[in-house]
Parts: sequence; C-alpha cells; structure tokens
Amino acid sequence: MAVSRAAGSLAVEGRLLRALAGLRLVVLLNAWGVGLWTLDGAERPAGVIACLVLMTAWTGVATWGYASPARRGPVLLGVDLAVALGVLLAGPWAKGPDFVATVPGFWIMAVLFAWAIHLRTAGGLVAGVVLAGVDLALRPDVTLTVYGNAFLLVVGGPVVGYLTGSLQQMADERDRAERSAATAAERARLARAVHDGTLQVLALVQRRAGELGPHAADLGRLAGEQERGLRRLIRAQDAVAAGAPPGADGAQGPYGPDGAVLAPGEPVDVAALLASLGARPGVEVVLPGGSVPAPPVTAHELVAAVVACLDNVARHVGDDARAWVLLEDLGAEVAVSVRDEGPGIPEGRLDDAAAQGRLGVRESVCGRVADLGGTATLDTGRHGTTWRLAVPREHP
Amino acid sequence: MTAQETLQVPGEALRVMVVDDHPMWRDAVERDLAAAGFTVVAVAATGAEAVARFPAARPQVVVLDLQIPPPSGVEVTGQVLAHDPSARVLILSASGEQDDVLAAVKAGATGYLVKSASREELVDAVRRVARGEAVFTAGLAGLVLGEYRRLSEPAAGPERPQLTERETEVLRMVATGLSARQIADRLVLSHRTVQNHVQNTLRKLQLHNRVELTRWAIEQGLDGEPDDPRA
Repeated sequence: MAVSRAAGSLAVEGRLLRALAGLRLVVLLNAWGVGLWTLDGAERPAGVIACLVLMTAWTGVATWGYASPARRGPVLLGVDLAVALGVLLAGPWAKGPDFVATVPGFWIMAVLFAWAIHLRTAGGLVAGVVLAGVDLALRPDVTLTVYGNAFLLVVGGPVVGYLTGSLQQMADERDRAERSAATAAERARLARAVHDGTLQVLALVQRRAGELGPHAADLGRLAGEQERGLRRLIRAQDAVAAGAPPGADGAQGPYGPDGAVLAPGEPVDVAALLASLGARPGVEVVLPGGSVPAPPVTAHELVAAVVACLDNVARHVGDDARAWVLLEDLGAEVAVSVRDEGPGIPEGRLDDAAAQGRLGVRESVCGRVADLGGTATLDTGRHGTTWRLAVPREHP
Repeated sequence: MTAQETLQVPGEALRVMVVDDHPMWRDAVERDLAAAGFTVVAVAATGAEAVARFPAARPQVVVLDLQIPPPSGVEVTGQVLAHDPSARVLILSASGEQDDVLAAVKAGATGYLVKSASREELVDAVRRVARGEAVFTAGLAGLVLGEYRRLSEPAAGPERPQLTERETEVLRMVATGLSARQIADRLVLSHRTVQNHVQNTLRKLQLHNRVELTRWAIEQGLDGEPDDPRA
C-alpha cells in the first residue's frame, strides 16, 4: 500500500502516535507491576529486572523517535519490533520454562500499534503475526487464554491499521475540500474587487454621458444596461454563496411555469426572480435585502403577474416608461407593488378587455393572484397607477 | 437633534469631505461639489485616512463610498459621527451592496445615493443632508422597510422599533419612486411632515442600533468608559 504523505495524513499519524506514547507508558507501568509481583517465582529475578529496565529505556527512545515524522522510518520500526521480540524471547530464560505471563506482557501492543499506524493494515498484520507467532512458539503448552491473546494480536493490528488509513483518507479529503473552498472564496473576493471597479466606471460613464449631451445618450444607456446586468449577476452569486436553492438566481427564465428545473416544493427566492426584471428599460426593482423564499408555484405566478403589470405599462404608457417594483416580505404574505406614472387606466377598460374575450389584465394579474389565494388592489388616476399584489406564503 | 442646528451660516460655504478610493471618482465628485460652491475641506482614499483627517477638517458633510480600504465605510460612519454628532454622512455607493448600505444607515448615515446619479442629484443631496434632511432612494426605502419587518420578528429581542402606519405608508411610497413632494400631494400633508416621517424611520433605526450596541457592550463587559464615545 502506497503510504501518502499529505499534510492531513501526517497530522492523523502524528496524533495517533502521540496517543500511543501515552499508551506505551501505561503498558510499561503494567509490565513493571506484573514483573515485580511475580518476581518471587522467577528463575532469574535479575534478568527480569534487566528486561524491564531495557523496556523502560526503549519506551523513552521510542517516544522521542516517533515524535518526529523524519525519524519514523524502517530503522525505528525495525528496532522497535526487535526489542519487543527480544524481551519476549528472554521470558523463558528469566522466568523459567513454566512461566505464565511473559516479561513485557501487554507492552508488546505498543509496537503492534506503531506498525499499524505507520504502515496501516499490512504493517499491523505483519507485526501481529510475528508477535503472536513468537509468543506461541515460546509456550510449552498453548492454553485457550494464550491462543486468545495471540488471536487478538493478529486481528487487532490490521484493524487499527485499517482505521488509521481511513482516518488519513478522510483528513486528506477534508483538506482538499477546505482548499477548494478557500480558492473559491479568494476567487469571489477578487471578482468583487473587479466588479466594484467595473461598476464604478459604468456609473461614471453614465454620469458623464448625461453631461455630454444627446449624442452620448446612447453610451450612457448602454452603460446603464451593463451596470444592471452586472448587479444582477453579483446578486445571483451572493444568493448562491448564501446557500440559496439552485435556480433562484433568476438567470434562467425568471417567470412562467418554466421553473421545472426545480424540484417541486423547493422554496424559490422571489427577490432574485424580481431582480431580473430590473433589466427592462425604465424599471427599478426595490428589494427588502436578503432572500424572500416562497413555494415555486407562488413565486413564479407572482412574478408572472408582475410581468403582466409591467407589460401593461409598456403597452399603455410607453416602452421606456418609468416603473417601480417594490417587494415586501410581510411574514405570512409576500407583497409586490408596481407603480407607473402614466395617465392611469380609464374606468371600464379592464372590463372591456374581458368582455371582448381578450386575456387582459383582469385575467393575467387578478386571476393569477386570486388563484394563489391573494388579493390584487388597483389604485389608478391622473397621478399614475399602482398595483398592489399580496399573496399568502403557504398556498391554501 | 433638530435640523436647525446644522443650518448653514449664510455666506459661509458648506464644508464637505470626499472619501473614495477611486481617484477618478474622487476628482469628479470634488470638482462637482466645488463647482456648486461647496468647500471640499478634505479628501481621503481609505477609511484610515478618513478617520485621521476628519477631526482637523471638521466637515459638515462626509460624502462616503462604502467600498474603501479598511476601516470600511460603515465603520468610518460610526467613528466620525461619534467624534462629531452634528456632522452628516451621505453614502455614495456604486456596488449597491444592500447589507452595507443598511449597516451604514444604522450607524448614522442620513443619505444614500447611487453613483450613477447625476451631478445635480449629488449636489442637491449634499445640500439636503447638510440641512438635516434624510436623502432616500427608493432602494434604501425598500431596505429600511425590510429591516423593520425583520426587527418585528419575536426573535429580534425586546424593545423592537416599530413603524407607525403613516410611516410605513410614506416609506412604501418612497420605495415606489415617489418624491417627497408627490407624497405630500397624495397624502395631503406638508412637505415638511413627509420629511419628518422619513427621518423618523431612520432615527428609530439608529437609536435601536445604539441601544443594541450598548447592550452588547454591557454583556461583553466593555462598558468601562461611558464618557468616551469612542470607547
């Protein structure tokens, strides 16, 4: 198995080895306790003490050795295993042939885990098999307990190795994800700076074009269109960054039932949909800040009704007529006001259109809003026309 | 604070400071303001410069871009107004970053204009802000309406500011592009009354913001120096 050395993997390995240093100390103290307790039965007590001293010294060296990634090589791992095997083999000599507990006892799990952590599944398996094999070979008779311990060594090594590998993989994946998130954030930051500069220039062009007189008016108008387009893009990007549902950016068909790209029921940002209407000449869209989520049918039908109002303004007042669209989030309701400064709608015109069988405002605005369980109120006169469309968030 | 306190002394030119990191914009605005008879007492390209030059220049109006090198336009608004509460801040923003505009208004700015506004609109806005009037675009009115709506949520905490019905009506009209004059005609009110309604909506929002900041400071144990507004 290829041992990758990505930063995340190294961090995982370092952390596990630090934990292992603690474990080494615990199993060492345990070995001393058991060793001293059974010292009376030992054939060569001095030999047992010598083994324990060696183990203590090696525990110190190993703890120092594993602390640095540079020192975690074949030499350290090899010597670690050799020391463990050495004190294991010294058991029958020091304690006598009828020994029950080996001198190092559980201390050998430290080297097993070191191999498993550094060399993963394969390393754990090799160390487990070697340690278990030597332990079994030393025993004059293999009891069920001895067999159980050996089995745990062979199984435990690969398991710890496998877990280490998985943790390292996850750490590397997390690192990659964090890196790409940081890259995206930096790209967005750079884009913001560029966008801001572009908006400044477009605004300046509009301003100066207005002062240069009629022949530059086209230039100003173009700059204005570009400015609105860019603003819409920035808004859509912000909506994506804020975790708004996909498709709420208004870049794709802003109205009508073509919102089929969306899963049914997934809330749509009415603000983003309406913002795209600001591209129409003379139309200013005023939003409450933040997103205004609504069920997709409600959102698209409401926007369609607003479009019908604006079409009406363009037809009866003029293509470039000024119009304002105000979106309000009223909690249980979403309200949109559409105002123009035209001559007003003459009394009876709406009814005439309906009577002549035309799909007039009556249907395209009032009908739509009524279907959503909302209300459409009309205020019209010489001062202009204001529609106020209010629809409940939850469809009745 | 009443508008009378900041009325210009007759014969003395209005002192204005221009803060913008784009040289071409700074120059254009400076030229336009000077041509209109104002005295541009200082210019600054960064937030740090703005805060450093403000005390000596003592401008009556700060024309402020929000997208400047730190500290941000929002912070600059708070700091210069803490230093001189009688000064007025007019936000002149290109990006229309809604959150920033709202934050600047809550920090005490009383006017907001987009950069594509004409020279006449700019000059008029500076004049009106200096008089103590609130200069609203339709866009800002929409944001303020939205903010009151958010503050009306129970989660926004106690003592939430609320708009009266009349104030809501007036703001809604501003947000649909009506001028103060048109609103006065439609509602049969004086122009002054309409202005007061608009200003009240800002004043309440700014007051609430200050109360919230103070509450936060007390909670964080930062209320050691109540006498120093910059603390």
